[in-house]
Amino acid sequence: MWLKLFAAILTASIAAPTVAAEPEALPPYVPAYDPTTVDERGLWNQADELELLYKRSEHLIEDEELNAFVRRILCNTVGNDRCDGVRIYILNVPAFNASMMPNGAMAVWSGLLLRLRSEANLASVLAHEFAHFELRHNLQGFKNRRSASDMLAWTVVLGNAAAVDTRNSQISLFGSIFRFNRNMERQADLLALQYLKQSPYPSRASSQVWQYLMEEADARAAGRKIRRKDRYRAGFFDTHPTSLDRADYLLEKSMEYGDTGNAEQTAYFDAIQPWLPKLLADQVRLNDFGGTEYLLGNIAGVTGWTPELVLARAELYATRGKPRDLITATTLYLDAIDKGHETSEVLRGLGLSLVKSGRRKEGAEYLGRYLAQNPDAPDAAIIKMYVPKGDE
Amino acid sequence: MKNKLLLVIGAIALVNSPISAHKIVEPGEPRKVAKGTLMAVSGQQWNRLQQKEGKYQEVWSVDGHHLNRIAFYGAVPVDKPLIKERHKKRAPLPKVQANMLLPDIPVLLERTYRAQYSIPNFEIGLQEPAKFIGQKGIRFEYSYTNPDDEVKRSGEGFGALVDGALYLVTYEAPSLYYFEKEKEEFRGVVERLELREQRR
Repeated sequence: MWLKLFAAILTASIAAPTVAAEPEALPPYVPAYDPTTVDERGLWNQADELELLYKRSEHLIEDEELNAFVRRILCNTVGNDRCDGVRIYILNVPAFNASMMPNGAMAVWSGLLLRLRSEANLASVLAHEFAHFELRHNLQGFKNRRSASDMLAWTVVLGNAAAVDTRNSQISLFGSIFRFNRNMERQADLLALQYLKQSPYPSRASSQVWQYLMEEADARAAGRKIRRKDRYRAGFFDTHPTSLDRADYLLEKSMEYGDTGNAEQTAYFDAIQPWLPKLLADQVRLNDFGGTEYLLGNIAGVTGWTPELVLARAELYATRGKPRDLITATTLYLDAIDKGHETSEVLRGLGLSLVKSGRRKEGAEYLGRYLAQNPDAPDAAIIKMYVPKGDE
Repeated sequence: MKNKLLLVIGAIALVNSPISAHKIVEPGEPRKVAKGTLMAVSGQQWNRLQQKEGKYQEVWSVDGHHLNRIAFYGAVPVDKPLIKERHKKRAPLPKVQANMLLPDIPVLLERTYRAQYSIPNFEIGLQEPAKFIGQKGIRFEYSYTNPDDEVKRSGEGFGALVDGALYLVTYEAPSLYYFEKEKEEFRGVVERLELREQRR
């Protein structure tokens, strides 16, 4: 029985052509597309329901300017008539992801914004997701997978018995029902490249995104003292081409196109600036020292070491908290103050780092300044414990 | 043959599940919690849950751990995480540090939740000094929304550092209705909680 199911999955996987047909011209654009078959209508219904969950989600970032910015980049890339059919939802999740549903709802995670360096990078990710929508990959993927659904049901039962976490969060549901296979990913990559070619952005930016991700993964592995993930070639069961493959074929194709343009690095960071402190703070608390250190350095490569970046780096070292980290953190907090960034976070972090290093008196001085700035802070009472009376 | 094997595995799994039954915590009876590091007396009936994450934790609930739960963390030593890591190397959790201060306790909980349960929006609220298990400790409030169910939960924690080890008790429940329901009972449990003499 299980063998039969397994064979069915294999057939489904092999049935898809191994080399993706590359779309030569942009597919014809159909405004106000309506689902046609039973399968497609069903998928749209599910997508509509999930979209409602996003609308109500606590994690939805509703900031108008940020939403308008992301939409502008999509429209710049795929054209105004095409982008009208897409609703974008920016979700507060500190990881790299974006996804597309068949009804035109696109989700962009906040961690994605922190991992890109230019409008062109963002354009390439949005164009990739849009390409899935335009090529109606959701429907194909659903048909391919339907034969395997019995097997999936068993996985859930056995997963529960073995206390394996098989839960589906509302956010990860996107990943399960609406996932694509490797060929579709490649097709979407290549179609996205065509959009980029016609846009004001250079298509080379597409390959960069995957290079950044590989570098970050290596830095994270180094930070955790584990071996780098050297398997940069996709295995038979992988749903996505590996980052190396993507960086490789995207670069090759964009060199073939030879298009040029301004990647708009400065404009990108200007646009996400109001959100940067929050994105950085979320990243720092992830317990990923190596990856975060890499991200900060990479952003600084574009914007220089701004006070926000220096503060984030100080917090990164302070939270790791080894004695030598506290010395680095103290230096960085002081650097931030030198740059005119004497904020509550800096004063609090500096004060606590000094207290932890055994320099209670100096620490008390900065904590006193923190309290003077924020007499009603929710942690005022506990911080006062480290400020002897008279120092406030 | 394979088919039968699969059925047997399924059957064993189903029959096995009642073994993980919970134990009743009777009110007024002093009992050792968190591996005997603390002595607790409850004011009402609780269920001591069989599932726990790691050896330093013990969990009590009235209506199920999604609706209200007290988690005791007893004597977590330096360089150990609060709960068991999903993967020691690939998904490591923050550890108790020798130079920790009281305001670092809520931060440790926050970073643990963010890393282990992918909670994107953990907020620490009020933090104030409080007497806890006869020691100088911290009382803090927090809230978060788990993307799994989109339910906003409120939490309250008491923590202290004793001889380089961390003692922490948290209570959390959906902010709507459930948090208030057992809040006073939780505070009573914390007030009666005692540190047990550690065998060295």
